[in-house]
Amino acid sequence: MSLLQLSIVTPQRLIVSDQVDQVNIPGTEGDLGILYDHAPILTGMRSGQLSYQKEGQTIVLIVSGGYVEVTENRVTVLAETAEFLDEIDRGRAEAARQKAEELLNRADLTDEEFHTAQKKLFRAIARLEGTESSH
Amino acid sequence: MPNLKDIRRRIRSVKNTQQITKAMKLVSASKLRRAQDAILAARPYAMKMMEVLNHLAARCNHDLHPLLAERQGGKVLLLVITSDKGLCGGFNGNILRRTAAYLKENGNKDTALMIAGKKGYDFFKTRSSNIIKHYIGWTRHFEYQMAVDIADILAKLFMEGDVDRIFMVYNEFKSVMAQEVLVEQLLPIVPEKNRNVKEHVVDYIYEPEEEAILDKLLERYMRTEVFRAFLESAASEHGARMTAMDSATRNAGEMIGGLTLTYNQARQAYITKELIEIVNGAEALKG
Repeated sequence: MSLLQLSIVTPQRLIVSDQVDQVNIPGTEGDLGILYDHAPILTGMRSGQLSYQKEGQTIVLIVSGGYVEVTENRVTVLAETAEFLDEIDRGRAEAARQKAEELLNRADLTDEEFHTAQKKLFRAIARLEGTESSH
Repeated sequence: MPNLKDIRRRIRSVKNTQQITKAMKLVSASKLRRAQDAILAARPYAMKMMEVLNHLAARCNHDLHPLLAERQGGKVLLLVITSDKGLCGGFNGNILRRTAAYLKENGNKDTALMIAGKKGYDFFKTRSSNIIKHYIGWTRHFEYQMAVDIADILAKLFMEGDVDRIFMVYNEFKSVMAQEVLVEQLLPIVPEKNRNVKEHVVDYIYEPEEEAILDKLLERYMRTEVFRAFLESAASEHGARMTAMDSATRNAGEMIGGLTLTYNQARQAYITKELIEIVNGAEALKG
C-alpha cells in the first residue's frame, strides 16, 4: 500500500514524522482528507482536531492554526501548536476558555486584542472538544 | 639567572588567568546547552518552512507577491549578526572579515547594514556610513518578538523599494567545535538552484485564495528565518567561546608547567651555589 510521508512541526519542536495512510486536516475553508496521490495543495489551518491513520489506528492531535502543504505524497503541517490528546490539561483549557470569553465580552477591545482573544478561545474550545470523547 | 620572586609572581598571575578562563568555559558550557537545545528544537520548523517556500517559489508565478519578485536594482542590505562580547576566538572576526570583503567588492554606497551585536557595531560604525539600525545587548536577552520586529522592518524596507536584496550574515551552528559563516539570501525568496525541477510542476490548489495565504505565510517565513539565524548565532557564540576558553585554559596550564620548571631549576641552582659557597668557606677556614 502506498503511504504518505507526514511531518508535523511546531516552532517549539518536531512532533510527528511518520509514514501514514490518511491525514485529516481542519483547513480554514473546511476539513480535508488527504489520501495517496492528492493534488498539490497549500492551505491555512484553523484550530481543531487533526488526525491520521496508520496501520488501522487513528491518532488525534489538537492543533491551533498554521499551514499545510501537500506535494508528491508528502504532507507537511506547520502548526502553531500541536498536542496529542493525552497531553492536554482540561483544567487549564477550561480556564483559558473562560478568560478568553470574559475578554471578548468587554466592549473596549482593539481589533488586534479581539483577534488574539478570539484565537485563544478557539484554541481552548478545540482542546476541550477533542478531549470530551475520551473522558 | 632569572629572579625567583619574578617567576613566582608570573606563575601566580597565569594561575589567576587560568581560573578566569576556566570559569568562563564552564559558564559558556552551561549557556551552550540551553542555546543548543533552542536551536535544535527550532530547526525542524524552520527547515520545513523553507522547504515549503522553496516548493512554492519553484511553482508559483513570482509576480504573485512582492516578496517573491526579483528586482534589477543593486541596493543591498546585509543583516550582520555578531556577539556583544569578545573572547570567543574567530567568531566575530570571521563575520566582520566576510562583511568587510563584501563591502569592498560591492561598494560601500549601495550596501546598507543592519547590525546586531556590539562587536559588529563597533567595527562598522567608523567604516560604513550606511548603518540603518543596530541592536546592542541582544545576546543577553533574546526573544522571538525581536526577530518579529526585525523581520517586519526588513520586509517593509524591501516592499517600499529601499533595498532590492537582503542577505543575512551569521554563524551557523555546526557542532560545539565548529561554526560556519553563512551569507544567506533572505529576500526576495528564491528557489534552490540545484533543484531538479520536474517537468510537470503543477501549481498548488490554494485555500483560501493565493494572496491571503501568501501574505501570512511569507510573513511567518521571514520571522522564522530571522529567529533561526539569531538562535544559530547564539549557539555558535557559546560554542566558540567554550572552545576558545578551553584552549586558553590548556595553554595557561602548559605555561604554568614551563614556569614551574624554570622556577625549580633556578631554585636548585641557587641552593647549589649557596652550598658551594659554604663548602668553600669551610675549606678556607680549615687551611
